[in-house]
Order: sequence, then C-alpha cells, then structure tokens
Amino acid sequence: MHHLEIRNISSSYGKLEVLRDVTLSADKGEVVSLIGPSGSGKSTLLRVLIGLTPPTGGNVYIGGNKVDYNSRKSLKDLRGHMAIVFQQYNLFQNMNVLRNVTIAPVKIKKKPREEAEVRARGLLQKVGMEEKADAYPDELSGGQQQRVAIARALATSPEILLLDEVTSALDPERVKEVLDTIRSLTHEGITLIIVSHEMAFVREVSTRVAMMDQGKIVEVGPPEQIFRSPVESRTRDFVSKILSH
Amino acid sequence: MNYTFQFAAVLEELPYLLGGAVVTLQIAFASFWGGAVIGLFGALAKVYGGVVARRIAAGYVTLLTNTPALVQIFLLYYALPDAGILLEPMTAVLIGLVLNAGAYLTEILRAGVLSVRRSEIEAAATLGMSQLQIVRYVMLPHIAKTIYAPLSNFFVWLVLGSSLAALFGVEELTGRAINISTANLRSIETFTIVAAIYIVLTVIASASLALVGRWAFRVKAKVF
Ligand SMILES: Nc1ncnc2c1ncn2[C@@H]1O[C@H](COP(=O)(O)OP(=O)(O)OP(=O)(O)O)[C@@H](O)[C@H]1O
Ligand SMILES: [Mg+2]
Repeated sequence: MHHLEIRNISSSYGKLEVLRDVTLSADKGEVVSLIGPSGSGKSTLLRVLIGLTPPTGGNVYIGGNKVDYNSRKSLKDLRGHMAIVFQQYNLFQNMNVLRNVTIAPVKIKKKPREEAEVRARGLLQKVGMEEKADAYPDELSGGQQQRVAIARALATSPEILLLDEVTSALDPERVKEVLDTIRSLTHEGITLIIVSHEMAFVREVSTRVAMMDQGKIVEVGPPEQIFRSPVESRTRDFVSKILSH
Repeated sequence: MNYTFQFAAVLEELPYLLGGAVVTLQIAFASFWGGAVIGLFGALAKVYGGVVARRIAAGYVTLLTNTPALVQIFLLYYALPDAGILLEPMTAVLIGLVLNAGAYLTEILRAGVLSVRRSEIEAAATLGMSQLQIVRYVMLPHIAKTIYAPLSNFFVWLVLGSSLAALFGVEELTGRAINISTANLRSIETFTIVAAIYIVLTVIASASLALVGRWAFRVKAKVF
C-alpha cells in the first residue's frame, strides 16, 4: 500500500459534481503535481484531502489507515500528519510571524513555548524569513507572507504537504523565492502534492504529474510522459496550450 | 438668585460616594462580562447557527432590545416572586443588566464575527485547532479589533445605566447620592459632585479600554 491512497473520491457542491471517482496515490517523499484547466477540481481535491470539503464517496488512506472525515478525532489526527498552504496566504493577521508559526505546536501539540520558538526560528531561517520574526503579516509582501505560511505548515511536522497554487497571487519577481523554498522541501521525505501552473517548475520537481479535467484524473505519469509524449489527447491539448504561452 | 452653594457638607461624604462609585464599576463590569459571554454565543448562533439557534438568538435580541432595561428589572424583581423566586435587589439588577447587555452585545459582536476572514478560520482548522481554539485564538482578536469603538461606548453606557439600580435601593453612586441629599437637603451640590465623579469614571474607563486595545489587539484607538 502507498503512503497516501486516494480511492474513488467524489465530491459535489450542491448538485454540481466537482470530483468524480478520483483515484491517485503517492509514496513517501514523492512529489505529485496536479495540473489541469481552471475549474477542473484541483483545489477541491486538496480541500477534500484535508477535510475542509466533505467527500460524497470513496476513501482516503494514510499509512494504511482509513480517514474518517465525519469524525472530529480522525480529522484532528489527519491534520497532525497533513498540512496545506493556500493560494491566498491566510496568515493570522492578529499574530506576528513567530506566533503564527508557533501557535499550532504550542496550542495543539502542547510543546513547551521555548522549544517551539527555537524550532520556528529554524524553519523561518529555512524559508529566509528569520529577520521578520517579529513583524505582523500586514507588514510583509505577498511572497514573504507565503513563505511564512509554508513555515507555519512545516511547524506541524507534516508527512504530507498540500500546496495549492502558492505562487499564483504573487508578482513574477516573488515567484522565484517561493519556488526555491518549495524546491528545498523536495528531498526531505515529505510527500508533496502540488497544484501549480508553473509548468517548468512542475516538470523539474515532480516525480509524477496528474492531469485533471472536469473532476476526473485523465492521465498520470512521470513528467517526461506528460510533457513530452502524453497518451491522452486532452493532456496534449492542455500542455501544448499552456507551454505555448 | 441668593442661593449659597455649600459644597463642604457634601465633600465630607466623599469617601461614602467613592465607595458607591466602586459599586457602580462593579455592576458595570459584571454586566459587561456576563453580557459579553451571552453576546458571543448569540453572535456565533446568529452567524453560524442552524435555523433553531438563529431563531432563538433573534427572538432574544428582539425582545430585550425593544423593552427598557428598567422594565426588565422590574419584572425580575416584582413578577418573579409570584413564581416563588425571590431576588435580592442587587441580584435582580445584575441579572437584568446582564441579559440586557447580552442582547446588545449579540448585535455588536455579530458585526465582529462577520469581519473574520473565512480563510483564516479554514487555515486554523487545517492546523488542527478545535472549534473552541479557533474562536479563542483566531476569531476573538478579529472581533475585538473590529468592534472596539462600539464596545467602549457600550461599556460607558453601562457605567451610566447602572444608576437605575438606585431605584431598587442598591447603594451604588446614584443611590448613595440620593441618600445624602435626602439627609442634607443639598441636592444641587450633591448631584454636581456625583456628575463629576461619573465623568471621571467614564473618562478613566474609556482611556483604559483604549490602552488595553492598543496593547492586546493593536487597535489604533485614541486614548483621549
Ligand atoms: N464553494 C464553492 N461552491 C460552489 N461551487 C464551487 C465552490 N468552490 C468551487 N466550486 C466549483 O467547483 C469546480 C471546481 O473548482 P476548483 O476550485 O476545485 O477548481 P480548480 O481546478 O482548483 O480551478 P483553478 O485552477 O481555477 O483554481 C468549479 O466548477 C467551481 O466553480
Ligand atoms: Mg484552484
């Protein structure tokens, strides 16, 4: 069994079927990227995985254990193993950078504050934000906030990290610093599920790429396959369109 | 006019009046915090609750904000004994003011709850926070920041409004002023001094609330 197994997941917003029978897996430390047109359900899949949007069918297994999305305990357990960073860096505006990063370890994992702060400073250093530990989110640029958001997610020591278009709200010159940060995570044994429109980056860091369209996974394969010789015509269309930009 | 003001007789009673001012502040604080707890649940019910919770909260607010606080306390004090519940004047006043404040604070806090960004709540949930922790660490600071000004005003209103306790024989500031003026017949002097004490109380209250706001919530509140 794989580290993360998504089996036949479906989900709807009211009558609108957004995910249909999605099956996908990732081994420990793998980097799996989701690509596909706007509205194809990429964000929804990540939201289902972390328990923000309820699935209407199917199951998710982590390390062989089935996640029960209806149980608070199971959700809390899940969120001890999995973290997410969103497109809109939603840091807690009322807390400074250091507190944003330490709140989960201190209040949820009950770590001593000093220990959590030492670790948080290490993580901030990793994302290049150690000098802004005392700043408040509204004093930071978008790229800086996004890097803090990544540090905050890492502070929970996730085995699986979900990244949803973390660079698409950023100015072009800020994109690189955030991508560099993500690149530095790819060899640490964390399983990464990345939704991104940065095709060059996806191609470089992914072990596998999944193409989504209309709530379904159309094709999964190594980046060379998806970008050079896709099997499905839908993938070919999408990739050629986006690469010709 | 040949009335000669005689403040000396009243000033002699200053310690007694200041004691009353302490009681006034106690009533205001108790009603404020009691009301704030009710108001928080009321606001959460109104914004996030199901149909039943929303209806109950709305009914409570409508009922309590459309009748005078004084009438509500009269009902508690004079009507409840018929049902076998006898309340001390102070207890009746406190319950009445807490319920009344709860209704107003539900409305004030609701505006604050609506100001919390959904994305922050979701981020908190994905970090593993419980509902209660989300309220405590993410929602309350936003709420406090947004509603700081109306909240301060409401506290001042409570300091002044608590004077209606005098009607039930509670010896807070106004109650003690009535006692003094009936004894010394120096009403003008007595109530002038009492008015001054009220001003000092509310100015101190507003200033300290502004300081707390700056310190705790980074609100750019004016101290004066
Ligand atoms: N809260 C919501 N309520 C109703 N419909 C929604 C909601 N969120 C998303 N949808 C719909 O679900 C579908 C999938 O949306 P989703 O955000 O998962 O797509 P996506 O692949 O992430 O797109 P993008 O690349 O634009 O981010 C879309 O048709 C969208 O309109
Ligand atoms: Mg999306």
